[in-house]
Amino acid sequence: MNTPSSYLPIIIQLLVALGFVITTLVASHLIGPKRKGNKKDEAFECGIDGVGNARVPFSIKYFMTAILFVLFDVEVVFFYPYAVNFKEMGWHGFAAVSIFVGFFLIGFAYVYKRGALEWDK
Amino acid sequence: MQYIFYTLAFFAILCALFVVFEKNPVHSVLYLILTFFSIAGIYVLLNAQFLFIVQLIVYSGAIMVLFLFVLMLLNLNKDTEPQKSVIFKTAGAIAAGSFLLVLVAVLKDTQQSTELSAMTDIGLVKQLGKTLFTKFVVPFEVASILFLAAMVGSVLLGKKELY
Amino acid sequence: MLMQINHIVPIEHIITLSCILFCIGVMGVLLRRNAIIILMCIELMLNAVNILFATFSAYNGNPDGQIFVFFIMVVAAAEVAVGLALLVLIYRNTRSVDVSLLDRLKW
Repeated sequence: MNTPSSYLPIIIQLLVALGFVITTLVASHLIGPKRKGNKKDEAFECGIDGVGNARVPFSIKYFMTAILFVLFDVEVVFFYPYAVNFKEMGWHGFAAVSIFVGFFLIGFAYVYKRGALEWDK
Repeated sequence: MQYIFYTLAFFAILCALFVVFEKNPVHSVLYLILTFFSIAGIYVLLNAQFLFIVQLIVYSGAIMVLFLFVLMLLNLNKDTEPQKSVIFKTAGAIAAGSFLLVLVAVLKDTQQSTELSAMTDIGLVKQLGKTLFTKFVVPFEVASILFLAAMVGSVLLGKKELY
Repeated sequence: MLMQINHIVPIEHIITLSCILFCIGVMGVLLRRNAIIILMCIELMLNAVNILFATFSAYNGNPDGQIFVFFIMVVAAAEVAVGLALLVLIYRNTRSVDVSLLDRLKW
């Protein structure tokens, strides 16, 4: 029988892991000594006052990589059901997956030709 | 177990409200990730184990990271968003609220089949794979064509040299 | 011993949850002007529909609904990829992601 209650051990493990992290973080915060002050709380920048926002915009190249990651990530998700049923599917399933991967390879060839994955250019 | 469901549902609704009303877009993204996590928990309760994993991998892992990436790329972490006028905001809230009323009222009157299913393994990867590769082969292939289009489109739009 | 969800939670409650999430998504689309937040709210609406599909699938013992959820997720991934690429392009041209600046196609 496969009911949600089969996942109770996983939930308990999650709770234990999360609880340990939170407990240690909070405890170290409470136990440790604290000295507060205007001078002590500001970011240390070699005597120079901190200027501007810590988050700066970055290159579009990271964004292209992230987009392509999302697309190929979803492709890989399709492989799990195939991998589990690999034996039963036989050549029929193999043909289906081959066509699927073929389309992705066409897309990958286009991306590669366009140079979307080239880093230093 | 119903308490787990109601807790998850409450958490999902709360986080979804925060997504809408949070001023900082980065906080909005983080709250949306929390919403997706609670929705993933609801999938487990619904015996949809594969959907649980896919929800975590695709939504929480990939799509939301992409959203965060764009926010960082465009440097929108400050509260620079111009607000709509109060009249427009109330109108929007009233419209959404009445839409909710209509939806709930319509669904109250429908006849749902309440026959209980004893099958608890339909959400497993093996079962879903069998359905996917027999009944839904054509949509599966069409999905790959959709991805080809998405790939070409995003590369075409994202590359700088074309403009 | 815990039991299956359809013995305990009435299906109406899950449907109501889905409706509430969908309407929050609608509200976000109506209230916000940041195009990225609007895209996120559309994702929220898609997820509300996904819950509905998974619920009917579980309560009727039919796996087709879950396959549909799977395809919706796939379409959402493709949509987000292209949509965010478009947004970056818009930001490059207008230096803003405010949707109300994009009303030039209005007649």
